[in-house]
Amino acid sequence: MTTRESNPEPNNPLGIDGIEFIEYATSQPQALGSVLQSMGFVPVARHRSREVMLYRQGTMNLIVNSHPDALPGGSAPAATPVLKAIALRVRDAAFAWRRSQDFGAWEMPTRASAMELNIPGIHGVGDSLIYFVDRYKDFSIYDVDFVPMPGAEARPAAVAGLHYFGVVQTILNDRTADWLEFYRELFGFTVLPEGKFFGIMPKGTLLESPCHKFYLQLVEPPPGAEDIEWDEALLRIGLGAPDVRAAVRVLEKRGVVFIDNGAVQPSEKGALTQVYLGGITFELVVSQLRPGAQP
Amino acid sequence: MDTITLAGPLEARLRAVRESGFTQIMLSARDLVEHPGGEAAAIAAVRSSGLRVTGFQVLRDFEGLPGHLHAYKVDIAKAMLGMCRALGSKVLLVCSSSSAHASGDPEVLSRDLRKLATLAVPFGIRVAYEALSWGKHVSEFPKAWEIVAGADRANLGLALDSFHMLATKTALSELDLVDPGKIFIVQLADFMWRELPSHEERINTARHFRVFPGEGVHGSEVAELVRALDRMGYRGDYSFEVFNDDYTQLPAPLVARRGMQAVKWLTDQVSRRSLPIRRDRPRAQRSSPAGVPESTLKNGRPG
Repeated sequence: MTTRESNPEPNNPLGIDGIEFIEYATSQPQALGSVLQSMGFVPVARHRSREVMLYRQGTMNLIVNSHPDALPGGSAPAATPVLKAIALRVRDAAFAWRRSQDFGAWEMPTRASAMELNIPGIHGVGDSLIYFVDRYKDFSIYDVDFVPMPGAEARPAAVAGLHYFGVVQTILNDRTADWLEFYRELFGFTVLPEGKFFGIMPKGTLLESPCHKFYLQLVEPPPGAEDIEWDEALLRIGLGAPDVRAAVRVLEKRGVVFIDNGAVQPSEKGALTQVYLGGITFELVVSQLRPGAQP
Repeated sequence: MDTITLAGPLEARLRAVRESGFTQIMLSARDLVEHPGGEAAAIAAVRSSGLRVTGFQVLRDFEGLPGHLHAYKVDIAKAMLGMCRALGSKVLLVCSSSSAHASGDPEVLSRDLRKLATLAVPFGIRVAYEALSWGKHVSEFPKAWEIVAGADRANLGLALDSFHMLATKTALSELDLVDPGKIFIVQLADFMWRELPSHEERINTARHFRVFPGEGVHGSEVAELVRALDRMGYRGDYSFEVFNDDYTQLPAPLVARRGMQAVKWLTDQVSRRSLPIRRDRPRAQRSSPAGVPESTLKNGRPG
């Protein structure tokens, strides 16, 4: 992996190097914070001027944005949290931003950003954003915008070795090829062979990041789902755990409830939490990945 | 039906189309920006019309431009995609460039269309590329297909227009090379004269003297095109693309009724002479030359 990090492969045109942070938007940050803390995330810093909190565990940074203009277009977030953005670590953020637009990405106004630093972003699925961050090795973007929480440990260890594994994206019928080409063209993602799945939710199409550090899962509506409200959006994050059963045990002690009803139940491969706050879930997936260094 | 065939306020045109029995409407960017109530009012009128939007037209002279001209056209394309999305249209029509500044290098043309297709992905829009019979480098559908196939994007396909195909006398057998799943829309029109040898004649006729199928002198060729598309497995939408100066000075309901007569004429032409199709598939599953996807046909409402 070290070789890959220092010498991006030809099929990794942006030099993607994992997920820098995931961002949720909600009008009820304390409710979401409570769920996140049961999942092992620790509030470590507060934004200097905006209603934005930084949570961490292990290698994972997670931002909760509840500023009144948190959503694209400057609209306020609703109570139900939405997955608003994925920030990708890249070799050169300005280059990544320009190249993406050369290949057909939409630039997004940075005023919708959680940061005051100018973090370039492009239009992702639905109303979501994809940010590019290049300052993650010798400098932390959070040092500029965030004030540490008094008494909080700056780098809390991960619960049960949890780390970012991937993001699940819902798409409409017959849209898999469109989105596959979108992620391949702009970022160099590759599709995994049909039938190769991780975890316990074997459906859709899995794309592997060019840095081999995380996955995107594209899920069309299941057959017979005409009555289900189904839109294109980022649905949930997947967290990798070296030992899923051990992670489930620890998280259950922290109050997390996992779905356990026949088709979906915790196993050594994975587990899925109940729906929290009317719309968010977390998936555990067995994974030995230990992406990236500490931020 | 296509709004460009009809005169009058957008609401009146939509009503005429609906009341004459069509279920779909092809819209132009002008329908939105020229609406006295603004774009939002136009979009509301379309959404409340009960008509499905067949497509949105038209992005011109997009591909093959260098440097700042390309950047300018990308801005235009983004604005068109935004309008297309707001309308709920799933197809954006793009006609081949007639610009003297445009490159003819197929790789460049494919690259630019690939970029346009990527821009369209987040909005769920499909891009339909059409060979304009006076296009600078792409004037016939086999060349357009070469560019589309070279770009190789799922949401990029062809728009076929019988007017342009007849004007250039492109052999129907060329359709054998085209993947039917990559034809995103077929526009049908006839015209009044046999020959259109020059670009100037094609432009003038295309913009002023088209007629509905069955009203011109190429009726049998238009019907044969529809039969050929049906045989190759095309099951997408048809739309009448009729620019006609007479029709834009007549009441919209009268013109829309003529359009419906053309649907009946074409349906008759095609169904009488396509026995193999009848044998192959149950009647309810056949696409109609009137236009229209199977679901519409089942309702007995051509588009």
